[in-house]
Amino acid sequence: MDIRGVQIDDTFAEAFGMRGVRIIITAKNQKWARESANKLTGFATSVIACKCEAAVERELAPSETPDGRPGISVLLFTMDSDSLPRRVIERIGQTVLTCPTTACFDGLPDSADRLAIGKPLRTFGDGFQASKMIDGQRYWRVPVMEGEFLIQETFGKAKGVGGGNFLILAESAEVALDAAEAAVDAMAGMPGVILPFPGGIVRSGSKVGAKKYKGMIASSNDAFAPTLRAITQTALPEGVNSVLEIVLDGLDFRSIAAAMQSGIDAACRAGVHSITAGNYGGKLGPYHFHLRKIMSGDLDDAPKADASKASAPA
Amino acid sequence: MSDRITLTLRAPLERALDAEVISVDHLAARSAQEISALRLWDGRHPVALGDVFSVSGERAQTVVLEGDLAKLHGVGSMMSAGALEIHGAIGNSVGARMQGGAIAVQGSAADDAGSAMSGGSLVIAGDVGDRAGGALQGAPKGMTGGHIIVRGSAGREAGARMRRGVLCCAAAGPFAGLGMIAGNIIVAGAIGDGVGAGNKRGSIVALGGVRVPHTYAYACTYRPPHLLLMLLFLRDRFALSVDDAHLHGLYKRYSGDLAEIGKGEILEWQAT
Repeated sequence: MDIRGVQIDDTFAEAFGMRGVRIIITAKNQKWARESANKLTGFATSVIACKCEAAVERELAPSETPDGRPGISVLLFTMDSDSLPRRVIERIGQTVLTCPTTACFDGLPDSADRLAIGKPLRTFGDGFQASKMIDGQRYWRVPVMEGEFLIQETFGKAKGVGGGNFLILAESAEVALDAAEAAVDAMAGMPGVILPFPGGIVRSGSKVGAKKYKGMIASSNDAFAPTLRAITQTALPEGVNSVLEIVLDGLDFRSIAAAMQSGIDAACRAGVHSITAGNYGGKLGPYHFHLRKIMSGDLDDAPKADASKASAPA
Repeated sequence: MSDRITLTLRAPLERALDAEVISVDHLAARSAQEISALRLWDGRHPVALGDVFSVSGERAQTVVLEGDLAKLHGVGSMMSAGALEIHGAIGNSVGARMQGGAIAVQGSAADDAGSAMSGGSLVIAGDVGDRAGGALQGAPKGMTGGHIIVRGSAGREAGARMRRGVLCCAAAGPFAGLGMIAGNIIVAGAIGDGVGAGNKRGSIVALGGVRVPHTYAYACTYRPPHLLLMLLFLRDRFALSVDDAHLHGLYKRYSGDLAEIGKGEILEWQAT
């Protein structure tokens, strides 16, 4: 299969089950919602070292937010249920509670699985906090020097999918970056999906473990590193001089597949040799995103196993 | 089965009747004949419902009452589901102890409307008498949940001893929020003296000015974030008349009642 002369490899991206929340941050204006969201999602590229993966999902118009103010939705994922509330509480506590004019709401109100988020954060109020029940939901009013910080008591938890990916193999670093940026632009704002790496793009795709250093969880994916073509078992076709990866996390399989479809299509441009994907032979992750099926419009592949039994990615 | 059960008053009531049996819970599963046989009370004397009302429809989740019902007391008591529409004025204790469902009164209601209610909504197009959303006589707590929307004025002691829930009215008489434990009272217009006396943790929102009692202390002027959320909800759910100036405006916060624990508040909207 090729799209505008770019080969789509007959392979699949292998992804894992994760647990996630959608956090709605509202503020006086989009600037302050964005400031808070940027801090909340900072250093959250990979669970390998950041303990969670998070990014802005999209900007929200006032008509889309609970309090009618400009907002931003953020998705945050962890590999297990136990650590999810801890990550959410510490990040909201340090980046939303602290940010002028913000309020914080649950973005998964239909989820029956609830995490106590505002409830522990209320104790910042040192006993001066107050609760309000509005439309069946409890909110906490936490006194702060600016005035009050409002946060919903519980947030919905969802089973998500982490590690959807595709690799752009290009004739030069410039072409690879242009194509990756086009892919990110095409995927920006698509519901239920985030791209947790800087600008949505990864230049240091990794392999599991390391050949030389024991104890490394992940190390350079030498098969795709162009400077190592002559001294390692390379996976790079002739003429490829740079590779960039797009990594996607999402609330469900279809959301990621739809985003991959848009992103891959946008990345197929002059100078790009082919699009491939990273996997572990299908043995680790229960979700398989077959590139050619996705680009043929089949977005509904079912998970290969119970996502809750997924192993951690490397 | 009908889409609604309609009870139409046969003749003007000369004496007050206790009509706690008139709620969706009691009528929804019954035939017209069974409904007619239910008993109202004239003091200690039972009166067949069918002698007072003509009954049409049966087995429905919506009940409609028609006529001048100002002497009919206790309608909708302990209701837990369904819709009760009252086309006219209604007597005391409408929706008292109701737990769910919706009661809509197209006229005015007398005293103790929604007293001790714990859920559902009671919307009154006209005025209400005293102690709306308050406590049953001798009880420590007033309403503990749900919404009372009074598009007219409320009498004395609206929301007295309320524990949770929301009471909105266009104006309130003296001692609104008397002994409030918590919950919310929102008044669009004038409020009588003694507002929030003995308030522990309740919120009283004055959109039309208020004479703040001496046992409250000014804290600050700010935009309460929860109020934006609450007013938007009330506007969307109950078509409450709230404009952008109320949503985004500044409010003076007074803490009180300082003769109590002082964790309650009066939020007074500031016209710009």
